[in-house]
Amino acid sequence: MKKTAWLAGAALALATLGGGANAADDPPYKVADGNKVDKATLEGWRTWRALACERCHGAKQEGLVGPSLLESLRRLSKDEFKETLMKGRPEKGMPNFDASKMVTENLDGLYAYLKGRSDGAIQPGRLEELK
Amino acid sequence: MAMKFGYTLSALVGCVLVSSAFANDDVIKQSGNARQWAMQAGNMQNHRYSGLKQITKDNVKNLRVAWTFSTGVLRGHEGGPLVIGDMLYIHSPFPNKVFAIGLEDQQIKWKYEPKQDPSVIPVMCCDTVNRGLAYAEGKIFLQQADTTLVALDAKTGKELWKVKNGDPKKGETNTNAPHIFKNKVITGISGGEFGVRGFVAAYDINTGKQVWKAFSTGPDNEMLMDPEKTMAWTDGKMAPVGKDSSLKTWQGDQWKIGGGTTWGWYSYDPKLNLMYYGSGNPSTWNPVQRPGDNKWSMTIWARDVDSGQTKWVYQMTPHDEWDFDGVNEMILADGVNVKGKPRNVLVHFDRNGFGYTLDRATGELLVAEKYDPKVNWATNVDMKTGRPQVVKQYSTRAQGQDVNTKGICPAALGTKDQQPAAFNPANKLFYVPTNHVCMDYEPFKVEYTAGQPYVGATLSMYPAPGSHGGMGNFIVWDAGTGKIVQSKPEKFSVWSGALVTAGGVACYGTLEGYVKCVDANDISKELYKFKTPSGIIGNLNTWEYKGKQYIGVLSGIGGWAGIGMAAGLEKDTDGLGAVGGYRELNKYTQLGGVLTVFALP
Repeated sequence: MKKTAWLAGAALALATLGGGANAADDPPYKVADGNKVDKATLEGWRTWRALACERCHGAKQEGLVGPSLLESLRRLSKDEFKETLMKGRPEKGMPNFDASKMVTENLDGLYAYLKGRSDGAIQPGRLEELK
Repeated sequence: MAMKFGYTLSALVGCVLVSSAFANDDVIKQSGNARQWAMQAGNMQNHRYSGLKQITKDNVKNLRVAWTFSTGVLRGHEGGPLVIGDMLYIHSPFPNKVFAIGLEDQQIKWKYEPKQDPSVIPVMCCDTVNRGLAYAEGKIFLQQADTTLVALDAKTGKELWKVKNGDPKKGETNTNAPHIFKNKVITGISGGEFGVRGFVAAYDINTGKQVWKAFSTGPDNEMLMDPEKTMAWTDGKMAPVGKDSSLKTWQGDQWKIGGGTTWGWYSYDPKLNLMYYGSGNPSTWNPVQRPGDNKWSMTIWARDVDSGQTKWVYQMTPHDEWDFDGVNEMILADGVNVKGKPRNVLVHFDRNGFGYTLDRATGELLVAEKYDPKVNWATNVDMKTGRPQVVKQYSTRAQGQDVNTKGICPAALGTKDQQPAAFNPANKLFYVPTNHVCMDYEPFKVEYTAGQPYVGATLSMYPAPGSHGGMGNFIVWDAGTGKIVQSKPEKFSVWSGALVTAGGVACYGTLEGYVKCVDANDISKELYKFKTPSGIIGNLNTWEYKGKQYIGVLSGIGGWAGIGMAAGLEKDTDGLGAVGGYRELNKYTQLGGVLTVFALP
């Protein structure tokens, strides 16, 4: 809990310090207390939950039969992430989610949520909206 | 020879009845020979019992590995080997390889590997198990993951026919073994987590032509249900189900995506000409979204094998709120003493934690008792209405959407999942591999999209609190009184099909990978233990070849127990013991499918 809050703080501080730096350095999510996130990220988490991603990737994205997304999200670019979601990796058991309206509409939010998990800024489990 | 004559005759006169009588006789004859293991459950009654007695409780300690065989496939290996004559037939998870192995020299006589679109794998998320093959009249039957049902020549492996049983694009897949009753291959469907509408279907064993198909939900005619003749337990007696018995229990069209899938072990009573099976959970797992009893999900079915017509039904868990999928095997036992009278019964250990005993001819409810004392979601089953008396504290419907209902026992994977129990005709007792796991369950709203997961609940699972700390028990059950006779604690869920023999031993496998044999009269006495290459979720089968009794089992961790189960356990706040416990599974075992065969020296 504390550690997560600290990380979140660090991420925010970094973003603030960045100021005029490259926008790519800004995290794609906003988070407070580890469990309050912006609307898009919240929808990303809801998408993660509705599509039952935890069945393969684990309740905390730590990996089960599917890979750890905490690690994958450190490697994958946003474009690669999107492509994996849309086309899947069927031979490895990853479905293509291009037929899911919820996924296609919330791809950015889902990326933001998982990036936040991977960065350690967002806690596992239930989230609420940052007011 | 007689078999061949049967073919010719039926072909000549084109008479279904003649052919069916022969087919039925062949499977009964093959499975009646204790030296073989011709059906996945050993016989049509799902006994998992063998009359062989070379391996006894006195010498079982001397068992040693006779030979082993790698399937070359990772992931969960369920089901077990068939042995007919001098051949052994073994299957693998996706891609569903089939190997015919000569018992004389353990050579591969033929192998078969179907071509399947890998896009079926994710629809089976999260494991690609297959529960094995069926045999009849010189044919091997394989029910592939992509729903293709195939008949192979048992001698050569040559494809005789194949037929498509479902559509993976809609989330329909197959994991069940096909069952041969009379002249039909009976199969079901998986996909309860994808909003699949469950059904069973019968195909002609000689042509693959569909003979009948019967859904678990929907209009009477599509369920092959007669409102006047199909009976159900009502106010303490059997009464007709009446018109639209399913439609009335769903909101709008929800029955079309209502689940009730059928991936368990079926049984057949040749005298009554009835087959028995269970239908699974209603979709979604969020009960708030689907008001009503959701008939006929979670139901025990008795159907006429020839017509598919429903003789009787019994719904165990109306309006499921916990994923207590009703697919577990139906065991047919004769002469079980119920209240002083010997009865011919159907015994079923449901995921919901109750062991049911019903009159299998009429469908009358005789006994319904907890087979794990920790079961808490219902106080009891009301014997007049047949309904479980749900405890509000553990009702995920009453607690509501987006509320985490805590401490429900058993967990969604049930006091028992598909791992089949064994029946010992000598003492009329049942040997049951069980889970001892509880859960927290939080339902949330989901929308249906064809072919996409349609789950709608977040779960955490952990060992039953206030118990021995383990996640399983191997128990002996008296189905006449509904009482646990004996219970042997296990560290992990016992996810392997049990075997009991005339030699007085009962054997099962564990998730760590041990094969264990115990004294059938006192299961606390562990007589033999051997560590196979991987965790066991397969079933133990036995046969005899050239005067020697063998016991064989597939190891290969996976399935819900091995992989999916760990998912919910990774929690921050509680269940620390569970996290430790399941993480520990990694210390014992890794993936990989191997058949291990044991014999005395």
